[in-house]
Amino acid sequence: MLVAEQLSCGRNGRAVLEGVSLQLLPGEVLGVLGANGAGKSTLLATLAGEIAPLAGQLHLAAKPLLHIAAETLARSRTVLPQSPSLSFDLGVREIVAAGAYPFPELSPRELETLLARTLALADATAFTARRYLALSGGEQQRVQFARVLTQALAGKVVGEYRVLMLDEPTANLDPRHQLLLLRTVSALAKSEGLAVLVVLHDVNLAAQWCDRLLLLADGGVAALGSPDEVLIPPVLQAVYGVAATVLPHPASAARRLVLFG
Amino acid sequence: MCGLSYDSSPAGEAVRATNESTLIPIMKNLFLALLLSLSTVFAQAAEAPQRVVSLGGPLTEIVYALGAGNRLVGADISSLYPAETAKLPKVGYYRAFSVEGVAALNPDLVLATDQAGPPQAIEQLRRLGKRVIVLPGAPTLDALEQRIQGVSAALGLRSDGSVMAAQIRGEVEQLRRTPSGAMRVLLVSNHTGKLEGAGRDTAADAMLKLAGAKNVLAAQKGYKPLSAEASLALAPAAIVTTNMSIQAAGGLSQFLAMPGIAATPAAKNKRVIVMDDLLLLGFGPRLPEALRVLKGGLVGVTMASR
Amino acid sequence: MSSPTTPALTIASSPLQLPRGLIVLLALLAVLILLVLVSSASGAVRIPFAELPRLLFGTPTSDEELLWRNVLLEVRLPRVALAVVAGAGLTLTGAAIQALFRNPLAEPGLIGISSGGALGAVAAIVLGAPAMIWLAPAAFLGSVVATSLCYHIGKRQQGVGGLLLTGVAINVVCGSLIGLFTYLADDNQLRSLTFWNMGSLAGATWSSLAFLAPWTLGLCLLLLRQWRALNALLLGEREAQHLGFAMKPVRRKLVLLVALIVGPLVAATGVIGFVGLVVPHLVRLTLGADHRWLLPNAMVAGAIALTLADWLARVAVIPAELPIGIVTSLIGGPFFLWLLARRAF
Repeated sequence: MLVAEQLSCGRNGRAVLEGVSLQLLPGEVLGVLGANGAGKSTLLATLAGEIAPLAGQLHLAAKPLLHIAAETLARSRTVLPQSPSLSFDLGVREIVAAGAYPFPELSPRELETLLARTLALADATAFTARRYLALSGGEQQRVQFARVLTQALAGKVVGEYRVLMLDEPTANLDPRHQLLLLRTVSALAKSEGLAVLVVLHDVNLAAQWCDRLLLLADGGVAALGSPDEVLIPPVLQAVYGVAATVLPHPASAARRLVLFG
Repeated sequence: MCGLSYDSSPAGEAVRATNESTLIPIMKNLFLALLLSLSTVFAQAAEAPQRVVSLGGPLTEIVYALGAGNRLVGADISSLYPAETAKLPKVGYYRAFSVEGVAALNPDLVLATDQAGPPQAIEQLRRLGKRVIVLPGAPTLDALEQRIQGVSAALGLRSDGSVMAAQIRGEVEQLRRTPSGAMRVLLVSNHTGKLEGAGRDTAADAMLKLAGAKNVLAAQKGYKPLSAEASLALAPAAIVTTNMSIQAAGGLSQFLAMPGIAATPAAKNKRVIVMDDLLLLGFGPRLPEALRVLKGGLVGVTMASR
Repeated sequence: MSSPTTPALTIASSPLQLPRGLIVLLALLAVLILLVLVSSASGAVRIPFAELPRLLFGTPTSDEELLWRNVLLEVRLPRVALAVVAGAGLTLTGAAIQALFRNPLAEPGLIGISSGGALGAVAAIVLGAPAMIWLAPAAFLGSVVATSLCYHIGKRQQGVGGLLLTGVAINVVCGSLIGLFTYLADDNQLRSLTFWNMGSLAGATWSSLAFLAPWTLGLCLLLLRQWRALNALLLGEREAQHLGFAMKPVRRKLVLLVALIVGPLVAATGVIGFVGLVVPHLVRLTLGADHRWLLPNAMVAGAIALTLADWLARVAVIPAELPIGIVTSLIGGPFFLWLLARRAF
């Protein structure tokens, strides 16, 4: 399990966030919310092992994260960064297959089965044979999503801890695919026991699909808890700096609907 | 600079030739002796190489000067004199000649200067069973003599070579004795529109020395771009250059107008000697002729000859 | 997110269906073998094609056959072998460097290998090495020193940007030192320099190939195994790290392999440009950027390109020959332009 205690994160020695303590539990989707510049991506990069924490503890399976070799870490931690790019044109299938690079022990047959599954999960099967750079931004995003699903699911045995980190995965997607993506993530967390951390901008999408929410403001944690607990006007005011109204969702009374302004 | 060894076969041939000539007095019968000596001559003629490839302009010139030009079956592209060389198949520049191109001409003798290459090529030719004679390429009278001796021995024309070498040395010595006044001379070449002055350790410097002139750029080594200011400060009394340099400048008047040339005493007094590139710098059998033209130009007997 | 009509079978390729990269690879290998035969059979010395097997394996029965056999064994075959080895090495490293820098304009020269090698050679010539045999060791030393300097200064920066900038600076320094040595060179040395810079395969001998061929091909095999890391790099440096390829070790491994492959090649052949730049690009345009197939195909295509260039250099102006660097750029340049124009980049 990925555990952070009193974490300070930042780049070049300057802390953007301080005092972050959290656990990424298997089977749970943790949404990260915050205004622009609140430190969402910095937190994700730190938890992913890309940048060293400035202070505090960060452990994966009781080992300091920074002491784990990149190729070992890649077998249990998957990241989808923001605005992924591609320098030379690769085929869609090759990009999705890259997700299995940390698992060279997979047989070709196992790999084919896995790719068929993840491409279908990301609704990217239709362009399997196409070139990546010929796809639209939303289609590219779905291909990248299929790639990280491949890495998160490759060779996974029941009960094995895997963490999936997504940085604004819905940015380029139409509403239907935003819903599809988050529904898939949520379903996989439950069925496969994946621990998921997802950075989101849309508070209502977060409220609908995340089990817990982490709200960042003023260089620290503003709130951490279930959507019901944390999506309350004073917290939202503190996080986003605008007045917010919280209503019961017209489609489902159990959910909240947040309106700003 | 190159580590190639000189072929020792000319010396070996000399030994063999002596042995053959000592056979003759042993014979009592004059007729038999005549027959035998005739057969030796034929045998030598048959042994003397008939298909020769020359790698280096000065070597080619020597072959022609020895009257053996008809035995050449190929040469490198620096072989420009005499005009007959134009008809020879060319195997590339002597520094980058084609091993297989030489082999394809099926030569029984390859003449090369010690600057011929690439480095492994001479070795490869020998491994193909080709007789390769490597001769010093240095721009000195001694090296020229060695070239002439080496080429003539290899062609079976040893005595002709000795005569030629002695004649050249004699003429050069004589030319050196004529007074020259130790004139201050600048030797420039121009291939790209930029003048390059010849310093020491060049064929140009060696020619100036033989002509009894003083190279104003003796302090520099090799060819270097000529600074206009420096050339004015050096104030050469005469300038020597080559036909190709004049061509590259677009003519004599353009050459005389170039910065670094125009304001020199040499240009003002029209004391500019223009010579054929190979004649001036080749250090071939025409060395006495080259010296005569150069010295003539320097003492003002002949102006802008050739 | 799954749609009910997922045609999962379309991507599960049947075992009988060979990947396109493999088909192209086999075709390129066939072309290479054919070209090696044609190139070995032609040159200034006319050797009948039908005689080849007998010359190689039989005993020569005449002086002419002995000459043919010697030309074949001592001159042509080592050259063809060097063309294959050098072409494969230069192109494979070109492909790897382009992936490392994620730039189709990159080539091994970018990290100082060529200019370092040239500096070593020039220094050896001008400082008066006693023999031409010192050229190759000096060139190798130069390329290794320049590349390791480039790596050690460049690695302080995040990403490959630092390596790239250091490479540019190293090339400038080497270039100016080459200029200085050129200035100091005398006429003779200058001519040697010019010919070294044009590149040549004429120096090929079995004794040099005995080291060069296994060394180059062995290291090439190690580099071929890096295809996953190179693909991951195309996705971005962060993405590569997320996929388990930590930037620093990957960069070190790639730079080391490239330097060890190209250094001895530069030493043996001088600077042969263009092959390492254009051929990987051509293969990428044809096959796509998947390095699993791009790398081996680029290797074989590079061997083809250099063998072809050397063959043309040898037969174009019989009995002379053209410098191979001129042939590679003369053919490669216009071909590349045509390709770019056709693809409308």
